[in-house]
Amino acid sequence: MALTELAFTFQGQLGNTIADDWSHTGVVGSGDLEVLMEKKEQEGHFTVRAVTPVRGYDEVWEKVLAKFAAESGIGDVSMEINDNNGTPFVVSLRLRQAWKKAKGGAER
Amino acid sequence: MSEKKMARSFYEASARERALGLVDPGTFTEFLGPRDRMVSPHLPVLGEAVEFDDGIVTGIGKLGKRPVFVISQEGRFNGGSVGEVSGAKMVGTFRAALAAYKELKQRHTEDFDEVRPVIAVSFETGGVRLHEANAGLLAHAEVMDQIQDAKGKVPVVALIGSKVGCFGGMGFVAAAMDVVIMSIRGRLGLTGPEAIEQEMGKEEFDAADKSLVYRTTGGEHKYILGDCNVLVEDSLDAFREALAVAAALPYEELASWNRIGSPEKVREQIELVKLAAELNPADSRDVWRYFGNERADEYQDMTTEEFLAAAKRREGAVGR
Repeated sequence: MALTELAFTFQGQLGNTIADDWSHTGVVGSGDLEVLMEKKEQEGHFTVRAVTPVRGYDEVWEKVLAKFAAESGIGDVSMEINDNNGTPFVVSLRLRQAWKKAKGGAER
Repeated sequence: MSEKKMARSFYEASARERALGLVDPGTFTEFLGPRDRMVSPHLPVLGEAVEFDDGIVTGIGKLGKRPVFVISQEGRFNGGSVGEVSGAKMVGTFRAALAAYKELKQRHTEDFDEVRPVIAVSFETGGVRLHEANAGLLAHAEVMDQIQDAKGKVPVVALIGSKVGCFGGMGFVAAAMDVVIMSIRGRLGLTGPEAIEQEMGKEEFDAADKSLVYRTTGGEHKYILGDCNVLVEDSLDAFREALAVAAALPYEELASWNRIGSPEKVREQIELVKLAAELNPADSRDVWRYFGNERADEYQDMTTEEFLAAAKRREGAVGR
């Protein structure tokens, strides 16, 4: 019954991080997810922790995240995801939206 | 869209967008935001997804000089249901508002009315989160307690105009507040449409009939009856402006807006129940006609502005 916790590390570009200390996007609706990113100096690494009720999709998560990491070059970021049955398409969309928002900095 | 920027819909806005939009730009500070990761301890045990803010945004902002304590529920996360953490965040925000009241009252002997805090609750909920039933119920009781503690001190304003509406135990909570502000798209009630249909059958209440659902639980009906004090357009700006007006009212006037809280108000409610039994209306439109709304059949096709110009309210319905 417990939730699945996944952890991944990708090598990204040194210093290609977010504008502020942290950034948050999304709502954990049905089939949706939230993304929390924190700036973290870790030699260009992009680390992800994803929490989801879904089991057995570890490889799909890894592929979706690897594709996003490669396309964005994101580095020196620690990301946490709470997911509620998002499809791979929704996950990639939210990752891109979160990255765009985080790169631009808060509107506040 | 002309050169004027289209007003941002309250109905479409997320809990965080509503929280930010209800106060002056740049003034909002969140209490226990996503980065604090205060998630439900109960949902993971059941294999259910969690959210870092547990589906509620709480914090403080300002309207002019006035501190505004904001509570905003997110309907997309578990139907905006209230659990242990989200309930505690509500209660904590009330407590913070009452502490601020105490301090400001001492410091502002001359101009207290201008800085008197207000509590604004943007409801989008079905009530108790069934996964954490007892904790959720307790949270409802504690919020009710806080509303009573705030009486005569800090105005408490309910804002209802989001997708899920305001149902279940939180319907009671909203009704106990000083002011209820709604839009036509807002819905307020106790038992939600689906639950009524499930219990009583489709003949009694067809939850798929959106027109029926809206004219029974929606802003227009609640405005005519007086369960809603102020009816506004569906925009963040309109809700914020109505909130600012309510927040600045003298307390005596606010008290007269309440639906409960005095023997007279209770008698009024009992009379309403009696009337409902006598009228035995088959439809909300019968009730609207009873209160002098001859054009009841046209109301649901009207804009907010047209409806407000045409609508006649029950005698005893208070608000602006």
